[in-house]
Amino acid sequence: MKEMKLFLGPQHPGMHGNASVHMFVDGDIIKRSYLLPGMLHRGFEKQMERKLWVNNIALIPRVCVPEPDINEMSFAIATEKLLKLEIPERAHWIRMIILELARISAHLMAYGGIGGPTGNYTLMYHAQLDRNLILDIFEKITGARVYHQYIVIGGVRQDLPVGITKEILEFVNDLESRLVEYRDLGIDNASMIMRIKDTIMLPKEVVWELGVTGIGMRSAVGKAYDIRKVAPYARYDQVEFEVPTSSYSDARARLDIKIKEVQQSINIIKQCIEKMPEGPVRVKPGRGQSMRWTVPKGHVYAPIESSRGEFGYYMVSNGGTTPWRVGVRGASYPQGLLGIEKYLPGTRIDDAALWVDTMGICAPEIDR
Amino acid sequence: MMNSMNNIKEVEDLVNKTVKVLKTENIDKNQIAFEIEKLEVHRLLTVLKNTGWIQLSYLSAIDWPDENKFEVVYIVFNWEKPVYIQVRTKIDRGNPVMESILPIFPGAKYYEREAHEFFGIAFPGNPDYEKQLILENWDDIPPLRKDFDPSAYSARKFPSREYPQDFSVKDPNNKTLEKTEERKKRAKALRVGGKKQ
Repeated sequence: MKEMKLFLGPQHPGMHGNASVHMFVDGDIIKRSYLLPGMLHRGFEKQMERKLWVNNIALIPRVCVPEPDINEMSFAIATEKLLKLEIPERAHWIRMIILELARISAHLMAYGGIGGPTGNYTLMYHAQLDRNLILDIFEKITGARVYHQYIVIGGVRQDLPVGITKEILEFVNDLESRLVEYRDLGIDNASMIMRIKDTIMLPKEVVWELGVTGIGMRSAVGKAYDIRKVAPYARYDQVEFEVPTSSYSDARARLDIKIKEVQQSINIIKQCIEKMPEGPVRVKPGRGQSMRWTVPKGHVYAPIESSRGEFGYYMVSNGGTTPWRVGVRGASYPQGLLGIEKYLPGTRIDDAALWVDTMGICAPEIDR
Repeated sequence: MMNSMNNIKEVEDLVNKTVKVLKTENIDKNQIAFEIEKLEVHRLLTVLKNTGWIQLSYLSAIDWPDENKFEVVYIVFNWEKPVYIQVRTKIDRGNPVMESILPIFPGAKYYEREAHEFFGIAFPGNPDYEKQLILENWDDIPPLRKDFDPSAYSARKFPSREYPQDFSVKDPNNKTLEKTEERKKRAKALRVGGKKQ
């Protein structure tokens, strides 16, 4: 049969953000494929060099749209490392609550997002509803639903509102009781198993070749390679949680890990609320004028564990009031660009969207 | 995991044994940076990869126009001994060439393409480092260089428009302007509590 060119995206139910997968197909088998990024390139790395350290906080959540808090955290950690700044104890715990809520929301979005390519839209509606409840909590804490700008250099912007911990606990208990329903509707559903089991495999040896991190790696390698465990930041070394793994990485295993991680995040949130001390939540980061403070010279890389893998900011300071260079290591860079080019060929057209969804490919962080 | 300071020391010994280190920076208990010569990067990365630093986390460049240099940075990570190692090297800015590390880390392919696109560094050994990736039909100097001015570029690329017809409010029958003024006055009155100023 003649080879034909097909596009997945830029707009597609299985594509989160605007990027396009170009596929050369023979019948319904992909022969060659590559990702065409660039549709969401907004020149953030250049813009950050022209803005004050504080001003950048308004810019960075836009780097990854579905999960913005990791950007704020990574940027804040990197700057605090350059400043050698110790932030108050309570701020660490509030940051962890925010990050874990964000992780649950990102996982729900990805887990429900599988409904798009597989046609199981009920799952998507349920997941989006629960994500919406998390956004409600965020709105009460930070005043914004998606881009919070809450984790800032030197702590968090303001203390938690009164009574929010009770609401968070109510929500996570409710979600915990319904996780079994999510499993029934998604990965344990007979028709879904037929569709997603043994599709788009990620073999173990491929992981190191690609440089994949996060759920993609843990599902293939079977080891608890999670930055929260291996090189803990914030206070992740003081909470107990497990890192779910598997040694057989197909679409179903990766979704299974996502829903298990939601359970672990709930456990972390409960412990945070219990252990969180009282006290101040923010310190002033620098001397001098209120915003035009400077940061000492240095190079630093601040990695954190996002829902898709290792996410980090590489920051260089020249001793000035603006960063000299900010580099963003998008978590979906390896699986999004190299993974689609090398490991999609041989699979079927309709499985391409499953790769994009279960490996967690976020187009805006590839483009920046 | 507990003896992370030992890990850092181990790394320092290993690197010092392998190559000539120009500068060492201890960043924190999980991170260390080495500045080395350009020609020794591949040797060091090979040794590190064989010792367990199997993950290439990041590859990029920094522009230092005052020194007339580009600094290429590689960050590698070992999941068993959690130490991030920054390997940095300075290359000439006038003729920026850095041999590709594709044989060592195949995952570097797209990072190198991006570094070429944004800094203009050539990576011989990478078969398609010159292909365009993110910027479409770019016709200026690479944008992350410090001498690239975004405002000048945008003024050149997107000149301010000349409209054939003047759409500003001038029509005598058009009361939009007066209504806006009226609304502003009312809002001001509300702000001062209805009192005359």
